[in-house]
Amino acid sequence: QQQVALQKLVFQAGALPTKVLCLSQVVTEDELKNDEEYEDILEDMRGEGGKYGALVNVVIPRPSPNGEETPGVGKVFLEYMDAEGSVRARQGLNGRKFGGNQVSAVFYPENKFASGEYDG
Amino acid sequence: DGSGAGRKRKSRWAEDDPLPVIQLPDFMKDFTADLDPEVQTLNILLLEINRKLQSGLPLDDRPECARSPSPEPIYDNLGIRINTREYRAREKLMKERQEIISKLIQKNPAFRPPADYRPPKLHK
Repeated sequence: QQQVALQKLVFQAGALPTKVLCLSQVVTEDELKNDEEYEDILEDMRGEGGKYGALVNVVIPRPSPNGEETPGVGKVFLEYMDAEGSVRARQGLNGRKFGGNQVSAVFYPENKFASGEYDG
Repeated sequence: DGSGAGRKRKSRWAEDDPLPVIQLPDFMKDFTADLDPEVQTLNILLLEINRKLQSGLPLDDRPECARSPSPEPIYDNLGIRINTREYRAREKLMKERQEIISKLIQKNPAFRPPADYRPPKLHK
């Protein structure tokens, strides 16, 4: 049981490689509200993220138009075919600047990502 | 209009090198906090104030023409003035010192405040 707790802790810290990479401190809510900017950001993420491995999916949570708080706004999730891609991407993207913001890249639990939970 | 500007634009990704992936564990912040330029400035200010307070030299050495008017004098039971210029200058420095220490603590929880430091009271 202790081991499970420990594993969970390591997972939360984003240290263990998963296929999903979570970039935080990337984009602002305002940028995401604008459709054109959102598309640009998506394109930039696909372009740069694709250099490190086969991208399966890119998710950028957007603020809801009615002003409700949406979990994960400001983050970008990159899902790779395999962990090799996400590990390479983490090495390549962590600490890089995106639009002036210094990005931090951590691995994200695959099960959470699969069920659409972006709050972690 | 800016409709054509959106296509051949530059990526927002900067070209500079990424940080090494090895991230320092949280407790290392205690050591790296001292490298923060703001913390360094605060430390220098604190040293300067400590030096002034301990020097025994007059704390308010402005010439008379540069001083603002003194407040009404306050006397103690024996008729000795409490709020002398020296006293007020010392109070002011002490207050500054407490504020700097508060900021240092905020920046670096491992910072050891001097024994005479009292955390500021929260007023209603």
